[in-house]
Amino acid sequence: MSVTDALAIMPILIAAGAALLVLLAGPFLQARSISWIAVVAAAAAGVWAVVYPAVGATVTLPGLAFTGLSQFLIPVFSAAATLTLLLSHDYNQRRGIKGEEFQATVLFTLFALCVLACATNLLILFLAIESVSFAFYILVSLDLEREESGEAGLKYLLMGAVAAAIVAFGISLIFAGTGTLALTGAFAPEATRPIVSAGWGLVVIGIAFKLSLVPAHLWTPDVYQGAPAPVAAFLSTGSKVAAAAFFLLLLAFSRPLAEIHLPLYLLSLGSMVIGNLAALLQKNIKRMLAYSSIAHMGYLALALLTGSREGYSAVLLYGAIYTAMNLAAFGAIASLSGAEERGELTAYTGLGHTAPFRGAILALAMLALAGIPPTAGFLGKFYIFYAAIRGGETTLAIIGIVTAAISAYFYLKVVVQLYMREPEGAAPAAPHQGTPAESLALTCAAVAILFIGIYPSPILRVLDAALR
Amino acid sequence: MEAILFYILSAVTLIGTLCAITARQAVRAIVYLVTSFFSLALIFYLLGAPLVAAFEVIIYAGAIMVLFMFVIMMLDLGHPEKLTFPKIRDWWPAVLLLAVIAGSILILAVSREPATAPGFTAITVREFSQALFKRYGVAVEIISMQLLFALVGALYLGRRR
Repeated sequence: MSVTDALAIMPILIAAGAALLVLLAGPFLQARSISWIAVVAAAAAGVWAVVYPAVGATVTLPGLAFTGLSQFLIPVFSAAATLTLLLSHDYNQRRGIKGEEFQATVLFTLFALCVLACATNLLILFLAIESVSFAFYILVSLDLEREESGEAGLKYLLMGAVAAAIVAFGISLIFAGTGTLALTGAFAPEATRPIVSAGWGLVVIGIAFKLSLVPAHLWTPDVYQGAPAPVAAFLSTGSKVAAAAFFLLLLAFSRPLAEIHLPLYLLSLGSMVIGNLAALLQKNIKRMLAYSSIAHMGYLALALLTGSREGYSAVLLYGAIYTAMNLAAFGAIASLSGAEERGELTAYTGLGHTAPFRGAILALAMLALAGIPPTAGFLGKFYIFYAAIRGGETTLAIIGIVTAAISAYFYLKVVVQLYMREPEGAAPAAPHQGTPAESLALTCAAVAILFIGIYPSPILRVLDAALR
Repeated sequence: MEAILFYILSAVTLIGTLCAITARQAVRAIVYLVTSFFSLALIFYLLGAPLVAAFEVIIYAGAIMVLFMFVIMMLDLGHPEKLTFPKIRDWWPAVLLLAVIAGSILILAVSREPATAPGFTAITVREFSQALFKRYGVAVEIISMQLLFALVGALYLGRRR
């Protein structure tokens, strides 16, 4: 590995080095300094990716390259990791989650996410996405005091292991059919087309699990509910964007087969309809957000379905926007939760008045998820439906728009709870004071939501460069 | 000669695995699995991959199975559980899967010429290691990070509270 290689893949090295440093130095340092080391390292990885020129950065390492796509994805992943670390420090202290393992595992997740963004062959891509899932099995079950946390971790592990096996089988069939692991060379010769399309079918099933598309979505609500709120924030952003990026890399480089159109169509349709309808019935805010994430992944699948450059750029844009929205929503939930998780919707009654800042962030996140202008959520949905109609998926786009309109009901219900309801009987417990780290994280997420919504041209320019 | 050996070994592998998943006693299942790993190792040897064959024996049949055995002995899990026989309606996913697999094999058998295995040349340990640490060096590093964090996670979750 030469110096130029090391410079080009520096985000990966920073994340890996920091994860090991945190593990080694953990016993000697205070929890606060560990958290700050982790936050600085995670942010540094993202800043490096923004600053380092993607053009001309040729890497001689087999399987890795720093491309325009990595330059877009790594900052998104790094922002998710940084905000998760900021949110989780005080949350973990309140909940009695001790040890440097949390920070180290978050940095390991970031490492795997950066590898995924830089991957150029199927093997590295598979290892990266599995490392991401692997890290989340640990993170989800990290709250030893709560039984639901361990239960969620076990459910996720069992389902994830099956999905990993299916993806691995699919990739091996694609390899058997095309004879290469490289993303660029993997097109199907006529003679082996059945094998390759069987491989694609299995990969689609595996990705449906990772993106939690209907009918592979059943794990999502339980895992989101059981996971600690900052982990749920990271899980719903990092792992979902990673899975979408995984699929996008496969589709964009290796000329997708016509056969996968129908399965993807049904997956997208089911997720948009069932995700939004099931979210209407939820009483727990984390379960509601889980179903909402199923629906949002349905929109992403719709954009992937078009197979056009516009569709792919809509996927990436929505991935970035979704990261900001969900970090704000779960971040506000984490910050409003004390020793007990604030799960039930009724526990949020009147919090817009007793905790104005965090209430406002939660309300903003809900408006953005509902897709109301001028938030970024509107812009993201607009690009997806625009790309879908341009790509000839008019029916599905109309269904998507209708379900998005229905979804406004349950998002706005949270806003109504926050501001317009009087508590029935005993008022919900007043939240503790917000800490500076949490406020910083929530402010960053909120600024991102508003900034992208009002002034999107910088991010669109980066996107344009990423897909060239 | 090789073909006959291959069919014998594959039969042993399949039967061994089948017995492993149907055995009621965990210790017996492990012994069946070790048998199937051994014949799998020989199949790798026939394919011209002696190093993979050696790894299969050392790592899977040796280290991992001993670890399984150790855990079973230590936790005293050796007693078979009383299992109720699955009801008829619980069988349909298995039947469906079996039908799909049987159908695929039938289609393959009818529509195609029997595939002939391409000629394999044995590779040396040097070539193997060069491929592993040069072409797949990055993958090795990623897997080692993953294993490290598997250890970290297991330690954390197993901590006494």
